[in-house]
Amino acid sequence: MNRDEIHELAAGYALGTLDLEDRERFEVLLDARDAEAETALREFQSTMTDLAAEASVAPSPGVKAALMARIDAEGRARDAVVRTLETKRPARARWPIWSTVLTGAMAAGIAAIAVGLAVSTAYDRRLAQLQQEAAAIKEELNRQQAIMTLLQDPATRFVSLDALEPAGGATARMVWHKTTGGLLVVQGMPPTPAGKAYELWAIPPGGSPIPAGVFTVDAKGTASLRVSPVAAGTEVETFAVTLEPASGVPAPTGAMYLAGKL
Amino acid sequence: MSLTAGRMAATDYAMPSAEPLPDSPAALIARIAQRDREAFSRFYDAFAGLALGLIRRILRDPAAAEEVLQEVFWQVWQEAGRYDPKRGSPEAWLVMRAKTRAIDKLRAIRRREKTFVAPVDESVTRSDEATGENPGVAAEARGLVRSALDSLPEAQRRVVELAFFDGLTQSEIARKLGEPLGTIKTRARLGLERLRAVMRREGQGAR
Repeated sequence: MNRDEIHELAAGYALGTLDLEDRERFEVLLDARDAEAETALREFQSTMTDLAAEASVAPSPGVKAALMARIDAEGRARDAVVRTLETKRPARARWPIWSTVLTGAMAAGIAAIAVGLAVSTAYDRRLAQLQQEAAAIKEELNRQQAIMTLLQDPATRFVSLDALEPAGGATARMVWHKTTGGLLVVQGMPPTPAGKAYELWAIPPGGSPIPAGVFTVDAKGTASLRVSPVAAGTEVETFAVTLEPASGVPAPTGAMYLAGKL
Repeated sequence: MSLTAGRMAATDYAMPSAEPLPDSPAALIARIAQRDREAFSRFYDAFAGLALGLIRRILRDPAAAEEVLQEVFWQVWQEAGRYDPKRGSPEAWLVMRAKTRAIDKLRAIRRREKTFVAPVDESVTRSDEATGENPGVAAEARGLVRSALDSLPEAQRRVVELAFFDGLTQSEIARKLGEPLGTIKTRARLGLERLRAVMRREGQGAR
């Protein structure tokens, strides 16, 4: 790529006007710490922010007050739900078993990711992306077939999960079948923070929550999660969703967002 | 205030790999990602005016603009962890969010008011009209932006404005103006290069 071409991409990037393909091309350069691209972007971006700064308008004080109040309310809600969740945990002693098993699995998973990252380069990324897209399509097909089978079974149950305070106006439904598992569909969830994921829990009556999968939501706050059946003989009474570290945890630690009883 | 924000943009991002200074925008963002309320408050104080100026430029409705400003900063609070210094300065990250949100809002308003149809030319030149709201307060600052933009050749100015204030992609601009995509890309680059030169000259004059 020549200098003019890099500068054209940088200008478009700073203006936020690039088409997807060009944006990806430029981000490859940025990720590779291309000096020409970084310098050009820095200069164009500071031109845009300087231009915006020239027209600065002081907001009315109410805007900041509302934001700070919202932040404080969010903090209080999180504390309250964590406390609620703490008091609802009757069988703490059983959790270390889960955590031993799952820590091992997680360590293996993390090792695999690290190896994967080490071998990939900026130029492999495009290929990987295409493979991912193909895999995603296959996965989607399998998922659709599983959903059809599930819906046709008379033993299938439908559960509505209630949105707790941090989830705002989210809605969530679970289609659940004891032996084939189920499907969770959520809408209107808050964006998943970086490094975090939502984790679904299947909770037996009087028992410890069983991890049932992690998921993140798209820009519209929607997601669907295929849920595997729990071990034979285990009854599930409640489903809940909490916010956890992205790799998932063996026992809930974060705020509870959704909950519903079968 | 406005020039301070501008200078912070340039100095902070000049050292992307260095450890961010404790009060630099990058350091504030990192602290916000850790849910630091105080850091959020300072980031807001430093850049809310910058964001609101842009939102008002796009939306023209002061009440709707403050609504969008609140949404944008709520996003900052929620998503500071996603900020990636490789992709640019925190101010540019904020400005991009403000722009996107303002344009979303503008489109929603236009959809609601079905009768409102803005021809390209009208939307490009609408900033020349007196807006009625807040007369005089930011007029001087607006005048500077206006004169910086006006210093561009017409063709470049239209591309910059359609991109930045109307949120069109380069392909959309090319279609709208009936020009080849390559021409639009070049005009965006030339336009920004020229703006940069003008802003520098004015900045030196003002300081």
